[in-house]
Amino acid sequence: MWSKIVSYIPDWTIFMQAAITLLFPIGIYYLYKHLYFYVGSGRSKESGAKSQDSELKKADNDEANQQPPVCTAFTQDYDANLTAIRMALGDNSDVHFREFSVKSIQARAVLVYVEGMQDEELINQQVLQNLMFAGEMQASEGIYTYMKQNMLPLVQLNETRDLDYLQESVLFGYTALIVEGMREMLLVGFPHGAVRAINEPTSEALLRGPRIGFTEVLSENTSMLRRQGLNKNLEMQKVEVGSEIKKNLVIAYMKNIVNPDLLQEVKDRISKIDMDFILESGYVEQLIEDDYLSPFQQTQNTERPDRVIASLLEGRIAILLDGTPFALIVPVTFSMLLQSPEDYYERWLPGTLLRVLRFCASFLALLAPALYISFISFHPGLIPTQLAISIIETRQGVPFPALIEVLILEISIEILREAGIRLPKPIGPAMGIVGGLIIGDAAVQAGIVSPFLVIVVAVTAISSFSIPMYSAGITLRILRFAGMLFAAVLGMFGTILFFLLICSHLTRLSSFGVPYITPISPFRVSDWKDLFVRAPLSIMKRRPEMLKTQKKKRRS
Amino acid sequence: MFKRTDDKITTSQATIVLTNSMLGAGILTLPRDIVQGVKTPDAWVSVVLGGIAVLIVILVMVKLSQQFPGKTVFQYSKKIVGNLPGGVLSSLLILYFIVIAGFEIRVLAEVTLFFLLEGTPIWAIVMPFIWVGTYLVYGGINSIARVFQIVFPISIFILIICFILSTRIFDIQHLRPFMSEGLMPVIHGMKSSILIFTGCEVVMTMTAFMEQPQEAVKGMVVGFCIPLVLYLVTVVMVIGGLSINSVITSTWPTIDLVRSFEISGFFFERFEFPLLVIWLMQMFCNFCSFFFNAALGISQVFNLKIHPVIFALMPVIFICTMIPQRINDVFSLGDSIGYMGVLIFMLLPLLLSIVLLIRKKGLKQNV
Amino acid sequence: MFRQRVLRILLVLMVLFTQPGCWSSKEIEDLSVYTGLALDKGEPNTLEREFEERGGSYQKHNKVTATVQIVPERTIGNSGKDGETPKTHFNNISETGDSLLEVFRQFSIRQNRPIIGHHLKVIVISEDLVQKEKIRRLMDFVLRDNDIRPSCLIFLSQGRASDTLMTTSEEIPSFRLAEMVHNNFRTSKVMKGITLSNLDALMYSKQSFVLQNVVEAHGEVEFSGAGIIKGDTGHWIGNLDQHDVESIAWIKGDIKGGSIKAYDQSNDSITYEIKSVKSKITLNETDDKKISFHVAIESTGRLIEDWDVKEHSSNVGYFKELEKIFEEKLTQHINSLIHKMQSTYKVEVAGFGDWYSIEKPHVWKQIKDHWDEEFTRIPVTFDLKLKITDFGSTSD
Repeated sequence: MWSKIVSYIPDWTIFMQAAITLLFPIGIYYLYKHLYFYVGSGRSKESGAKSQDSELKKADNDEANQQPPVCTAFTQDYDANLTAIRMALGDNSDVHFREFSVKSIQARAVLVYVEGMQDEELINQQVLQNLMFAGEMQASEGIYTYMKQNMLPLVQLNETRDLDYLQESVLFGYTALIVEGMREMLLVGFPHGAVRAINEPTSEALLRGPRIGFTEVLSENTSMLRRQGLNKNLEMQKVEVGSEIKKNLVIAYMKNIVNPDLLQEVKDRISKIDMDFILESGYVEQLIEDDYLSPFQQTQNTERPDRVIASLLEGRIAILLDGTPFALIVPVTFSMLLQSPEDYYERWLPGTLLRVLRFCASFLALLAPALYISFISFHPGLIPTQLAISIIETRQGVPFPALIEVLILEISIEILREAGIRLPKPIGPAMGIVGGLIIGDAAVQAGIVSPFLVIVVAVTAISSFSIPMYSAGITLRILRFAGMLFAAVLGMFGTILFFLLICSHLTRLSSFGVPYITPISPFRVSDWKDLFVRAPLSIMKRRPEMLKTQKKKRRS
Repeated sequence: MFKRTDDKITTSQATIVLTNSMLGAGILTLPRDIVQGVKTPDAWVSVVLGGIAVLIVILVMVKLSQQFPGKTVFQYSKKIVGNLPGGVLSSLLILYFIVIAGFEIRVLAEVTLFFLLEGTPIWAIVMPFIWVGTYLVYGGINSIARVFQIVFPISIFILIICFILSTRIFDIQHLRPFMSEGLMPVIHGMKSSILIFTGCEVVMTMTAFMEQPQEAVKGMVVGFCIPLVLYLVTVVMVIGGLSINSVITSTWPTIDLVRSFEISGFFFERFEFPLLVIWLMQMFCNFCSFFFNAALGISQVFNLKIHPVIFALMPVIFICTMIPQRINDVFSLGDSIGYMGVLIFMLLPLLLSIVLLIRKKGLKQNV
Repeated sequence: MFRQRVLRILLVLMVLFTQPGCWSSKEIEDLSVYTGLALDKGEPNTLEREFEERGGSYQKHNKVTATVQIVPERTIGNSGKDGETPKTHFNNISETGDSLLEVFRQFSIRQNRPIIGHHLKVIVISEDLVQKEKIRRLMDFVLRDNDIRPSCLIFLSQGRASDTLMTTSEEIPSFRLAEMVHNNFRTSKVMKGITLSNLDALMYSKQSFVLQNVVEAHGEVEFSGAGIIKGDTGHWIGNLDQHDVESIAWIKGDIKGGSIKAYDQSNDSITYEIKSVKSKITLNETDDKKISFHVAIESTGRLIEDWDVKEHSSNVGYFKELEKIFEEKLTQHINSLIHKMQSTYKVEVAGFGDWYSIEKPHVWKQIKDHWDEEFTRIPVTFDLKLKITDFGSTSD
């Protein structure tokens, strides 16, 4: 009896292997923790930049603190002010000072502006003409209120008392008006530089749908959103981000639909951004996302206002940044990456079929090379016999094992793709044909790769182009290589483990608190109407459950 | 925010967890085991009868767990019978889960080595499997339930397609004569058919995580009926397709059924490949469920945090996997797991319910 | 210190990465796929004998000669030209021994690529071999192997089985054999293919059964009749001819297509094309426990060929006459089959045993071990009803 039990105790190699089983993941776990701690998340601990309403509160406190030595405030003394401004700004060769006198109060005034950035006609007619030629003043009111109320027929009029702010504003393109006897400095004239015309976004072209895309000017973008229709609930809040060069960022949401906790979370994260210059919305995306080590993106970026407004109506939040046409939509889930607005503009039957097609294409783009490697190298018995025979014949002269062959062709395709982005327009298509056909054909003729592989790689490449979001396409490309490695070591078993690993990772990922893998699970039948199929519009009555919006029903 | 605090799962998720915990290694060897016990083509009747018996078991377990909302069996067993006996009973359950987990991986490794990868050493199959399982279990019951919900529809879909295609070789005559020898052989067969329903003990831990415990009965019954129907269809199709003589001599009857026909010209000529794919995914789910329950048990009985326990369990499971040395040992381990399951049922839900009833009655009498 | 450890671990990982596919990956072009297997009585051919003379042999009894058909034959490089379609060639090699696995591994000392059996489609066994060896022994390796799929077909062959795997035409013999089985919807002389899983069940049940017989001449093959394998001994005991195979199909009701040809009064051929067949076997028990089988066969079909051009072939009365002639002819065939089963060979291969086991399972358990004997004493009656329902596109 005892010897029987002893015979079942495995020998020491098994214990060693058990130890490896334990140590490897512990090693990875500690590596992950160290990496996270070391790299950090790019966000500071407390709020850095100021938002507009808090700024107003702070301004009152600041006033009391601003008098002392650093000459940031203005005095009543016109000359002192002017000298201070000249000292601060004068070195710039494109800053000009236009001095004149205001007729009605007989005071000197000066316009400070940067060349090329203001609307000359507006300044000439509305400001200079009025001030230089207009009538008498009532002495009872202050100059400032008088000017503001009676003399300056301008819609956009700001004031400031802070030299730093004035300096930044003038250099940004505002025109400053300083009047003797007035303590506040007025900012007239909105910055008016050359902008791009509105045309169709190149990265998200559709066959049917509006052909407008965001531009680089924030006000145009917000106006495009507002112009989508009459409603009183679209709210936009402006925040300044960046410490060295400040940019405006707008958070847009539908105030009666969005979940207030989500909104607060977004605002918190944005306020914690600590960077000197936010160049593009991609910076914002990387600084507010949940998990930067994941290959999947957790915010969606788009150039199309119709996508943005549709997401807003579902209860999501949009982030627009000045200087870039790409807006961010949070939170995002897995299904959104494969949806295209065209699904909704066409009828439900083509919409459904196209969506199913896209899912199949993304599946192929991810797993086709891995499946090829596992069949050719590990499981010849699982291929149909005729196919196996033709593969054997065509692979006769190929010197490389399947993995190396696939890597050669895949890397060539990736290089071609990168080169294709940067090619000038006339050469682009021609090079594509040259690259694709001729190199592929020549490789087969030379006996480096087999023709079956060329088909597999071509199908994979085309499938990855069918994904509507470019960033999702990049993710799949990266994962495809990882899948190939898994398949090369363990064949079909490795491919399945890879798929399970991705599923596990996706279930642990969350974007702003919404689990990434909704709506595939948990089973909420109402959310499934928009996942693999696109149900007829009359059935889609409710907003997605996963976002826990305030107003559930779309229709009355 | 939206994060589900307290790691709760919805009713449908609990259903799927139960289903996936029960669909495991049994589906491959089930036809042969039952036919060896019954020796007539009435094996499917014993599946039905076994299912009904286990259904009663599950109802007892659910009712018991509903008395203690939010607490798993490890916690309330201590309450009912006291700390030490409760701890002993829970340890028994934990050991049971660990042994099952090791057994499942071992069967998986055997089948993979036999049909898919011949020259690979066994540790190269088991280790990555355990690692990916750990990665999933680390995320808690919520991630586990979600992965199950992703894997489950795919599995069912492909399984149904395989069975529909196997109607080519299905012959109803193989299932006759019906009840030729009466009910006795069927009762003998129940011995094997109850064994395949191991894994239903997770009911006792799942109910604690449900958002709406009052729906537990409905959810668990549905979650039990799905594997019951699947096992029934499997047995019927395998016996109908292969005839019981072939089933008795075949080591893995279900796979042989799918390998027995080829549909030339269709996309896959050979359908064992999708079947093995979904079977691997199902085994993964199965293993993760038991792994999680074992880790949960240890952390709750001995008051440890669950994450180090998960890490510590990995080598233990690996050793459990490698203990059987031949395939006969593997099969006899499967049988003994079944008996252990019956024993656990006697001890845990039944005994605890009885003690609870006695206590309650005692309280009532005192008051 | 920490850095060093990290570096060492990274080194180990990198080494690990250089080992992809070091375990069970074998590129598909490095494998030889064999699609046909032929088993003969052990007679080493000239090549083998020369090898044995020169290189010595190993311990074996020369019981079985196994021939495998490897597809495709190796070509150096690839053709590449679009003009010529590459022809798939095949190559047969054989080896003699007494253990199939050992024989297969012997191929590894003669070939540079290992053979894999995933795509085995056809196994042909020669009748001489099965006369000497039990079929269960021969099939043991094939049943245990994990590569060989249970869907491959089994045939018996009259001459050398390896000859049936040769051909002078441009196709591969094993594929040809495997596809010929699909012709059973044309004529019932082609039996439904017996796969390995069917064979396993038949062998285990120890009942007698038939396997399709393949006859070879000048590189061409023909499915001619079937060979009988006796259940309890597992040996081959004789052949049934083509008409018997048809009759078995009539009794089982398992016909998808075929024809009956008869001669009418003026000795002209008339042919009946079968559209559908229904057959029912019933077990009758008289009071003193005497069993008898009764087969009721009904069939509909069309008159497809009538060499007697004088008659009016659209006349219903004429049809009834012809039906009688056909029924007579069929009765003749079935009687001859029953006679062969009960007297000549003393086996039962037409499916009566299955019906018995369904109708009277308790009795079956007692007699199934000597069912062949029992059957010789059981009278079988049958009645046929043929109906000619149309006459094609020409009338009169």
